[in-house]
Amino acid sequence: MLNRWLKKLIGKSDSRGVAKKRLQFALVYDKLEVSDEVLIKLHQDIVDVISRYFEIDKESLKLDIRKSEGRSALIVNTPILSARRIYPSVKASA
Amino acid sequence: MDGKVIVITSGKGGVGKTTATACIGAALALENRQVAVVDMDIGLRNLDGGMGLENRIVFNVVDAAKGKCKIKQAAIKDRRIENLYLIPASQSDNKDALTPDIMVRLCKELRKEFDYVLLDCPAGIERGFENSVAPADEAVVVCTPEVSSVRDADRVIALLYARSITPRLIVNRIVPEMVENGDMLSHEDVVDVLSVELLGLVPLDNQVVISTNTGAPLVLQKDSEAGQSFRRIALRMEGQDIPIEIPQAQKSFWKKLGIIIGIGK
Repeated sequence: MLNRWLKKLIGKSDSRGVAKKRLQFALVYDKLEVSDEVLIKLHQDIVDVISRYFEIDKESLKLDIRKSEGRSALIVNTPILSARRIYPSVKASA
Repeated sequence: MDGKVIVITSGKGGVGKTTATACIGAALALENRQVAVVDMDIGLRNLDGGMGLENRIVFNVVDAAKGKCKIKQAAIKDRRIENLYLIPASQSDNKDALTPDIMVRLCKELRKEFDYVLLDCPAGIERGFENSVAPADEAVVVCTPEVSSVRDADRVIALLYARSITPRLIVNRIVPEMVENGDMLSHEDVVDVLSVELLGLVPLDNQVVISTNTGAPLVLQKDSEAGQSFRRIALRMEGQDIPIEIPQAQKSFWKKLGIIIGIGK
């Protein structure tokens, strides 16, 4: 009882609310966890797709998953060397 | 007869799976159902002790898997509760003896004899989990109102969904006073985070410790809040429409007086 008044007086937040927020964040992050294997495959696929349209430096393409404010973003960063003049048809790439 | 196989699982250990299995099994048997509870924790058996049957084990589920006995022969009849049977785990470390396929086969046998087959899943999401989930038609997930337990429950729920099983949730060991004071996740918080159907709420109850000390069935104790909660859970599993009761804080004399004269809540 006295504890509760003291908590209110010093404006300490309730641990229940803290627990819920921590949980919600933890669950979001747990679900975003991607294995290295998946990342390597994704990296290769992205390189393949971009290479159809641009000449890129395959080595310097960077893939990153950034988490902020409860959202996550996939960020691909690659320098373009030149655009391809003739786009390969879908058939040719298949 | 074609009984139901229900797995009771949690991910995290120590949240009350074994107690829940023993209590729900006993409660269903009290409703005149033929019930078999199976300890799936090979090498670390405990359901036998919880039910007070540890001295009567002859065969176990691994013996049945290896063909040393029929699965029905491994079932120990409870002396206090009619229609309740326990199939114990083995205590030696031959945990590779069980596979999902073997469990599906054993449960097929058990379905013929029992209305309910409750599988007490070991903690974790490895082999023991796979063995317990493979034969299951339904799943009950047990968690306590703590961050670690809810987080693991979420993981297990996702794994169950991946196997086309829609689980139902029991929130165990609720301390109503702490929830009221804002120091414990409420069942609404837990359901909100997990978004899963609620099967029941069980308050923290000292009677659980006392009854596991003696091996006496908790559900037979009229004064045990947890025991009575499990009985209502069993009725819901039977398909009865029983509203979910929210554990209430015990009001002290001064609080009661405060309510009477109109101050405090």
